[in-house]
Amino acid sequence: MVQRLTQLLSRIDRRIVFLVVSLSVIIPLIIELPLPIPIAPESRKLFERVEEIPDGSRVILTFDYYPSTLAETEPMSVAALRHLWRKDMKIVTLSTVGTGGPNIADRVMATLAEEFDKEYGIDYVNLGYKANYQAVLLGLGKSIRSIYPTDFYGTPLDSIPLMRDIDDYGAFEFIYIVSDNGIVDYWIGLVNAQYGIEMGAGVTAVMAPKFYAYVRAQQLIGLLGGMKGAAEYEELIGHKALATSGMGAQSMVHIAIIVFIILGNVSFFLGRRKS
Amino acid sequence: MTPNLIQFLELSVAGFLTLCIFSFLYKDNPFYRLAEHIYAGLSAGYYAGLIWHSVIVQQLWIPITDEGKFVLIIPGILGLLMFTRFSKNLTYLSRVSIAFVMGNTAGITLMQQLHGYVLPQTRDTIAGLLGGDGTAAMIGAWVIFVGVVSTLIYFYFSKEHKGVLGVTARIGIVFIMISFGAHFGYTVMGRVSLLIGRFQFLMRDWLHLIN
Repeated sequence: MVQRLTQLLSRIDRRIVFLVVSLSVIIPLIIELPLPIPIAPESRKLFERVEEIPDGSRVILTFDYYPSTLAETEPMSVAALRHLWRKDMKIVTLSTVGTGGPNIADRVMATLAEEFDKEYGIDYVNLGYKANYQAVLLGLGKSIRSIYPTDFYGTPLDSIPLMRDIDDYGAFEFIYIVSDNGIVDYWIGLVNAQYGIEMGAGVTAVMAPKFYAYVRAQQLIGLLGGMKGAAEYEELIGHKALATSGMGAQSMVHIAIIVFIILGNVSFFLGRRKS
Repeated sequence: MTPNLIQFLELSVAGFLTLCIFSFLYKDNPFYRLAEHIYAGLSAGYYAGLIWHSVIVQQLWIPITDEGKFVLIIPGILGLLMFTRFSKNLTYLSRVSIAFVMGNTAGITLMQQLHGYVLPQTRDTIAGLLGGDGTAAMIGAWVIFVGVVSTLIYFYFSKEHKGVLGVTARIGIVFIMISFGAHFGYTVMGRVSLLIGRFQFLMRDWLHLIN
């Protein structure tokens, strides 16, 4: 009996694992699971800090991510933007990532601008992408115009009403970073350390463990980690969207993976005892 | 063609290519390789266009020709020198550019690491040890302190890990393992999120099977 079980477990085709994982994603997407989403302190801190910023303030919202991580990062951007515009803030977006970032910003901002009745150039500006992120982050502290003479669409900054009296970080109350790469280290090390501007970040789950140390040291006000962080922020702003709908599938896949890990270990130990 | 039809065709191409990539999970096949080659070719082409437009045109050509910033000819020449690597006789000239990039990057990274990472993190590791934010915070601060010190000792290889040094290094391994576990857990969550994202695209955006 034990021998047969060991053989059965050790011979599970990897495609069966893929099938189980796929079904664990598909079924909860069709039949939504009403699972609770407990809020992490780091997400709450970020939300509360944004709440404290005076209405109508200027904020930088970055789209520092590639299309490959949209599932984690876009819901963060959307939730952040929704929160910022509820407080009628003026938003300047930029990206240190060439592929994806500026175009995603363009799409997300345009979609939500319609919903919130915001006008380009008055309520928000998309500065787009510039190569060499280190020089860009340092240069923005001296003169935004020297780095971005024009916006994403090629319009000179001086002819954009929102940008007329803005030329460095001093004009901004807060920097909200959404990123899938190490650029957050540079935002903290070059901008927060030198210019003392408060910032919060939404990062992919893979990156999140590293950045908790920054929150602890108060270099970051708060942190959203992966789809879970995005779902927490959606919960905090009271607008459940894509990230929340994905959390049921997330939980189901995690259960499936845990079951497979247990089965794998049972098979291993039974096999070892036999030998 | 109507905008809706164009959008459907765009989504269908993306959906088809997603399924092509997923087909690798069964086994390697021509559809997967087709999608892989399209991805590689598109990425290379897109990057070439992006760099040409955002660096050469926007940051070099326009400032020189329209704004008279002739000083930019110097970094332009440094950039051209990088191509001397393709010539055996002239390859030494590329070292000038590489030296410039290395020096520049080292200077910026040193600042970033020192002021953004080493000093604030060291200060925070020590700051809470004597309390001030309550007992729970103090215990947390001590756990972090022990973790930092024992992990650093684990990576100290100038003396054999015996006695006190050995015990401390073994404590360091425990902290490292916990860290690896946390990273692995988050990585699984991240990868699963990407899979969920693709299924959301297929089922919601493309096929309208879910809301």
